[in-house]
Amino acid sequence: MTELFMLSALGLMLSLFLGLLRVLLGPGIGDRMLATQLIGTSGVGMLLLFNEVFNQPALLDVALLLALLAAVAAAAFTGQQKTHHD
Amino acid sequence: MNSAGLIVFDALLLLSIVGLAWASLATTDVRRSIILFMALGLVLAVAWGRLLAPDVALAEAAIGAGLSGALLLAAAHGQPSPLPPESTNAPRNHGAAGMGMVLRWAITLLCAALAGTLVWALLHAFSNPQHDMLPRAISANLAASGVSNPVTAVLLNFRAYDTLLELAVLLTAVLGTFALGQATPGYRPAGLVFDGLVRWLVPVLILTAGYLLWAGAHAPGGAFQAGATLAAAGVVLRLAGRTRIGLPVGFMLRMIMAAGVGVFLLVGLTLLLLGRPFLGYPPAWAGSLILMIETAAMFSIAATLLLAFLGGQPESTDVNAVANRQREEDPRC
Repeated sequence: MTELFMLSALGLMLSLFLGLLRVLLGPGIGDRMLATQLIGTSGVGMLLLFNEVFNQPALLDVALLLALLAAVAAAAFTGQQKTHHD
Repeated sequence: MNSAGLIVFDALLLLSIVGLAWASLATTDVRRSIILFMALGLVLAVAWGRLLAPDVALAEAAIGAGLSGALLLAAAHGQPSPLPPESTNAPRNHGAAGMGMVLRWAITLLCAALAGTLVWALLHAFSNPQHDMLPRAISANLAASGVSNPVTAVLLNFRAYDTLLELAVLLTAVLGTFALGQATPGYRPAGLVFDGLVRWLVPVLILTAGYLLWAGAHAPGGAFQAGATLAAAGVVLRLAGRTRIGLPVGFMLRMIMAAGVGVFLLVGLTLLLLGRPFLGYPPAWAGSLILMIETAAMFSIAATLLLAFLGGQPESTDVNAVANRQREEDPRC
């Protein structure tokens, strides 16, 4: 079972790495932001797997918080600040 | 097979951390650099999880991945865009470039010195056979601390002084924010999709903050992570263009800002009057006192972070004050 989890974690790492390439290469700023979200989602998956592999239930809380705050990061990117003339 | 898989995993994780750190420093575009920094925060949280340090991972996920990104993006918005090269006169430009070069080398040297110190400390800790003395002392006294999570026991009981002073630093930071004057202008009202996100994200963030505060007694969590999560709820509301973001005004706001330090000091001084050492909780009361201090600290931390995001004193929601200001700005009415 642990082998299966380990393989899945490696698969998620691959997805994180592909997301990383998009973050580094762009080209648009939106592409980079969406790739950051992919990294966040892969990270949540990895933390959930680590919780099983290393038997650390606290990592579930980390995964929860990472999922929530990644959404906040996306919100921070989309929010449009008013200028003083608005 | 298993350990080989772990080594490959760790190597890739390490590579992505170094790559992202380098890229976020090397890029010249501010917004791009911030997004790379946010991605770095996400990967770092995973790395702390992989190192089985959930306390640090929680703090990194709450502050590094989400909040600092939002803070930095808001700060970048207020920055004037860099001037085109032909509009600056040559000699001044030259001086600025030289200054930048000196600054870059100074930062590089300081970073190298820090890395050297850390390596030295690590080698020292490994060569010293007694390096588990502190963990042993903590587990021996954990029963008397009032909580079962050793990190909370250190932060709120054994080294409560440190946490009190950290909260005082945060209070000073708010005073600095207030010195900036009025808050930056708000955000445009959110579109349909963003508004839908706000409707479920904000309640879940508030609930999670309460959960982290409560969990801090027996599992990773506590006031700092909970406060950051609570602040994130206010940040999302402001990003969505709401005028009310859960931050009180006037006297109430000042009370909440000072609550962390205030309750901490009140508990310490009361214990002093009762003939105990400053912040030396009686073991029977320690659990409740710690929860009380942490609750007050959570609200103070959330208010501090939210005010930092506002970038100044919040605008008064008092109708008369708003009307007065509009009259001052527009003399025609």
